[in-house]
Amino acid sequence: MRNIDELITKLAQDTATVKRAPHPFMLSIEWMTVAVLYLAIALMISDVRHDLLVALHNFWFATEIAALGGIFISTSLSAALLSYPDLHQMRRIVFAPMVTFALFVVVMLLAWQADNPPAPLPVHSFACTLSITLVSLLPAAWMFHVMRKFASTHTHWAGGIAFLFSFSIGALWLRLYEQNDSITHVLEWHYLPMIAFGIIGMWMGKVVLKW
Amino acid sequence: MRLAIEGDSNAYATILRETSRFLKPFLAKRLSFTNEVDDLLQEILLSIHKARHTYDGNRPYKPWAYAIAKFRLHDYLRDHYADQLRHAMDLSEVENNLPEYVTETTMSYESISGEVDKLPEKQATILRLMHQDGYTAKEIAEKIGMNESAVKVAAHRAYKVLRKKLENGKPER
Repeated sequence: MRNIDELITKLAQDTATVKRAPHPFMLSIEWMTVAVLYLAIALMISDVRHDLLVALHNFWFATEIAALGGIFISTSLSAALLSYPDLHQMRRIVFAPMVTFALFVVVMLLAWQADNPPAPLPVHSFACTLSITLVSLLPAAWMFHVMRKFASTHTHWAGGIAFLFSFSIGALWLRLYEQNDSITHVLEWHYLPMIAFGIIGMWMGKVVLKW
Repeated sequence: MRLAIEGDSNAYATILRETSRFLKPFLAKRLSFTNEVDDLLQEILLSIHKARHTYDGNRPYKPWAYAIAKFRLHDYLRDHYADQLRHAMDLSEVENNLPEYVTETTMSYESISGEVDKLPEKQATILRLMHQDGYTAKEIAEKIGMNESAVKVAAHRAYKVLRKKLENGKPER
């Protein structure tokens, strides 16, 4: 007990004022703003798909982009809350990605059914996964760098959700850039790898976000 | 805590003392040794100090402190059990170090069965019903029309006789 008293005295002497962490909603908005800017720059460099306006008139494409946007927003919010030890005492919002993800799965299944006759499969396959990964790596690294400054007590989930957020940027970029309407292709080479990266993110979170 | 974050060292010392006061029983309930509790409590206080910027003073303090305490406790237990597994001895290694007489006896199962047969009929029946057929003393008492405590006494006497015979049969150390 004497050691604990000594430690408390020692810690109390460290009176340097600390910069308070921002509110998680502000943090989330900050992340989304930077991500949108990054996405805009990436699209400026790669150029958007030529038939984007026509594609946006397609109900299922527009819904898919909206659902992906939902994942983007909910994962950003969830990752921000997961950066705090007590989830900023807003536990319910942390589960928001589960809702948006379920919605996304329903949208994709309906879009898959509606894709009749199926749109022709593009000749490439793995190239899409690779492109999404390359575009997403920078936001992922940045997210982990920022999250390390906090004190997550759910490192697995924080890592997984941060990766999903980053990969949703990559997925959005490719859907707005690539002229491709094959749902089978996007499911197989865009979205399934995104889930796999989410799992990798959980492992990364455990290692990188340890404090 | 808000004052503490703003640099008031007295307020900070008070909140840390109060934190250690309510965390101590929480940890003591989950850990076996006092030194473990103290070590972990120190670690938790350091973690609270390190993460104090994530507390803004606008929400309850205890859930925040407990979240850190639980995180550190789980970390500690994970390491502790991983350590125990690393240092665990294989059963075969333990067997190699045991003196021979612990596992070796001149009495085999068959010979014990033989000794049971040599007991008075009633005692032998009781032991067989108890240890071969798995009846309880109460059930045996009903089965053979005896008093439950009489069954227990008979079984006890039989054990005594068998123990004596087994001890006589033990090899010299």
